[in-house]
Amino acid sequence: MKLAPFVSILVGVLAGGLLLASPAGAQPLDRAALIARMCGEAAAMGEAGTALAALAASGEEAERAWAAPLPRAAIDRTLACDEAGAVLTEGGLDALTRAPRAAQGTPRTPLLSLKNRPVYELADAAFTLRMAPSVSQRAAALKILERRPALIPAGLLEGAAQAETDAGLKAQIENLAQSAALNAADPALRRAAIARLTENPNRRTLTQLTGLKSDAAYATDAAFRQAVESGIAKVERGIALGDALATLYNGLSFASILFMAAIGLAIIFGLMGVINLAQGELIMIGAYVTWLVQQGLRSLAPGLLDWYLVLAIPFAFLVTAAIGIALEASLLRHLYKRPLMSLLATWAVSLFLMNLVRVLFGTQNLQFETPFYVTGGVPVIGDFIFTWNRMFAIAFAVVTLALTWAVVRKTPLGLNIRAVTQNRDMAACIGIPTRRVDMMAFGLGSGLAGLAGLALSPIYSVNPQMGQNFIIDAFMVVVLGGVGTIAGTVVAALGIGQINVLIEPLWGAVAAKVIVLLMIIGFLQWRPEGLFAVKGRRK
Amino acid sequence: MVKFSRRSFLQASGVAAAGLASPLAMPAYLRSARAAGPVKLGCLFSSSGTMANLEGRLNYVVKMAADEINAKGGVNGSTIEVLVSDPASDWPLYAQSAKQMLQQEKVAALFGCWTSVSRKTVLPVVEQENGLLYYPLHFEGDENSKNVVYVNSPPASSVLPAVDYLMGDEGVSAKRFFMLGSDYVWPRTINKQLKGYFKSKGIKESAWKEEYVPFGFSNFQTLVNQIRAFADEGGGQPVVILTVVGNSIPDFMREFANQGILATDIPVLGLDMVEADLEGLDTAKLVGHLNCWAYLQNAKGPANEAFLKNWAAYVKAKNVPFSGTVSIDPMVSAYDSVHLWAMAAAKAGSFDVPEVSKAFAGLTFDCPSGYKISMTGENNYVARGVFIGSVNDKQGFDILWQSKDTPKPVPFSPYG
Repeated sequence: MKLAPFVSILVGVLAGGLLLASPAGAQPLDRAALIARMCGEAAAMGEAGTALAALAASGEEAERAWAAPLPRAAIDRTLACDEAGAVLTEGGLDALTRAPRAAQGTPRTPLLSLKNRPVYELADAAFTLRMAPSVSQRAAALKILERRPALIPAGLLEGAAQAETDAGLKAQIENLAQSAALNAADPALRRAAIARLTENPNRRTLTQLTGLKSDAAYATDAAFRQAVESGIAKVERGIALGDALATLYNGLSFASILFMAAIGLAIIFGLMGVINLAQGELIMIGAYVTWLVQQGLRSLAPGLLDWYLVLAIPFAFLVTAAIGIALEASLLRHLYKRPLMSLLATWAVSLFLMNLVRVLFGTQNLQFETPFYVTGGVPVIGDFIFTWNRMFAIAFAVVTLALTWAVVRKTPLGLNIRAVTQNRDMAACIGIPTRRVDMMAFGLGSGLAGLAGLALSPIYSVNPQMGQNFIIDAFMVVVLGGVGTIAGTVVAALGIGQINVLIEPLWGAVAAKVIVLLMIIGFLQWRPEGLFAVKGRRK
Repeated sequence: MVKFSRRSFLQASGVAAAGLASPLAMPAYLRSARAAGPVKLGCLFSSSGTMANLEGRLNYVVKMAADEINAKGGVNGSTIEVLVSDPASDWPLYAQSAKQMLQQEKVAALFGCWTSVSRKTVLPVVEQENGLLYYPLHFEGDENSKNVVYVNSPPASSVLPAVDYLMGDEGVSAKRFFMLGSDYVWPRTINKQLKGYFKSKGIKESAWKEEYVPFGFSNFQTLVNQIRAFADEGGGQPVVILTVVGNSIPDFMREFANQGILATDIPVLGLDMVEADLEGLDTAKLVGHLNCWAYLQNAKGPANEAFLKNWAAYVKAKNVPFSGTVSIDPMVSAYDSVHLWAMAAAKAGSFDVPEVSKAFAGLTFDCPSGYKISMTGENNYVARGVFIGSVNDKQGFDILWQSKDTPKPVPFSPYG
């Protein structure tokens, strides 16, 4: 072990010497030196990466075919360096000769430094763009190249465009090649590059274009100046639009989380006046049920694993609804006349559930698969990125809202719930079984909390404590919205979410929380019954 | 719950006030009489509450280290007995447990605390009782009590070398810094020192930005947008220095990856990030992000191999409810603590705190990190190595850089 770094330094120095001896870019390629540098120190590895990228751009076909697997091996750490050179451990081939052999002694797998990583990723993408058989692979590689136009070696895009068979992709490659001509000599090419850059309005483009103002051509060439200025204006418009959309989207996504956490509570609190402090734990249990469904699918039907978030919906709802009904039947039913007692009892239940989960599952964060429909995001305009996990939560909240509204407005159960909410005694007089309605409503509210847990699992860490984060926010929304109205809950969630998101960038997240709470206190002074009060007599 | 703990805390403080001066005033023959039976060591790590997942495992590491020493015949002819308490992640309870251990159980040394808040509450207790606390976490520095042994590194020998690396050519030549932390003493002090450091390097104030979030915050959408806007302003390579703690770490990393930012665009240096924080995350999109500690599981050398083997065997034999295959810096620091204490006690030939403290100067120990860690007579800090880890796709950290030797710890930062 002690010897290995020394040997690698020695090899690095030797390789460096060899390379100095042969002028850069001279043919043929010194393969052994390249491998030695890939096994060297960070600086040597960086040089090797740049050399690989250049090879992808202008190397001969045979050389490219030889070098293509190397960047990927360095990224994946499947390049094992030993005394005799290096081995690609994936296929057990010698990196230089491509003859099968095993690594000798204790091989070293060099780790890419942060500086070298993009160089190797670029080189890998460059090889993929030129040599991958499928169009989608080549398109993905082009996306990676687009991230760092400054690093693209000269001639790569031209070569790739020439060989490209897919017309659409070919146009994209040529487009990217144009934007790389920002500093070309030909003014027409430069203007085309500006036009192409403005198609992607974001702050990075803006910085790039603003930099052109100090260019010599800006003062002398009127057409160029006009192109730069209209480009900047266009990008600024795009950024402003993107920022507005991003704020709206962030607010909407936060609102959807608040709404999911609060809707179950709105029904329970609205109907029975029970302050259910265990609501947060029901959310947590919903997330745990989702995890159990995922684990079940993993062992029973691995093909459906990606869809566990959808398949878990009935389970999350039914399990938490059953817990809610059991809770109501065994505990809360005896405490309706004593609200303070019910508050304490639900708090005890909350602690009990939390610790039960802790004992059964442990305290660590649960490991969730992230299916394709909740990973990553799409850049839309400006700096606005549409992230799929947030979209999932928003869509889920909308569907939940629609279903809850339908249940409350269109079903006999909903009719009974509304009747009991408005006037319990009168409802009992006309023959509505109020006890049963209480139980069903509590089950519905608890089930909705379970669904909230499911919707939140792709966004937040799932552990026994997660429910406590939501209980305060949920009460805030319910009280502000007006006890027991769905419309109130929706409006309050949207309002709090949007205001939070607007304040956060201005004064920070801590201040945002304080200001929102102060606004709610102020509002409730003015309108204690909340935004939408239920008309009629309660209790 | 709150009422109860406050009352019992007051009761305990009353008892403490009554027996305040006793250990100091105790005649010499009484003090040495303590050494006759087994010697007791106390642990102050939570087994419940928010910190349980991290702190809980340290109890077992201390026990494992004590077993190792007992197997070799104990210290000064006594075997070690480890007492465990549960302060339940409730900061005042740490002080109460410490008081109980020192007064009733007469423990020879305490091993405990994770957050700086809990250490600050225990500090007056160990000073009053003239006890000895071994603190195994890297922290904000600016403290030097004769009753606390700071086993892990202050910023000057952990954070600053890592930031230096990022600013250097070998790193990413970082020019701009977004500091994001939870709103409490550790992140605020670290960031204050970093700002002083940046100033001393001639970096302009416009090149950094500082943001704080409430404890347990998880909705990072807007903040990640802010980071992207900050990065796109131009002016050099940006990095994020992350000092949020607990569940805010995975929630931040998830949002960061979802907005399509890679480590090669904006690297995150997570100062409190350990393997446990990556549980439940898809780390393929996070490869390359950084942390810095005095030990990483991938450290090379026979000491680490032995430690990992022993820990795995211990977990299996004693049915420990934590993973036998994960080893994090505070575990190794707790392990070092027990050995450092035993060496000091053996050198002093006594379990008496003043005697043991006098024996600190010149102690060295072969830490599992592969470095020979050492103490001087100047202060109660331990000189440790520095590692910078890089997230890999297997939810672990690869060693990206490590210091040549152990930099001398500087308790009080000159940068603010």
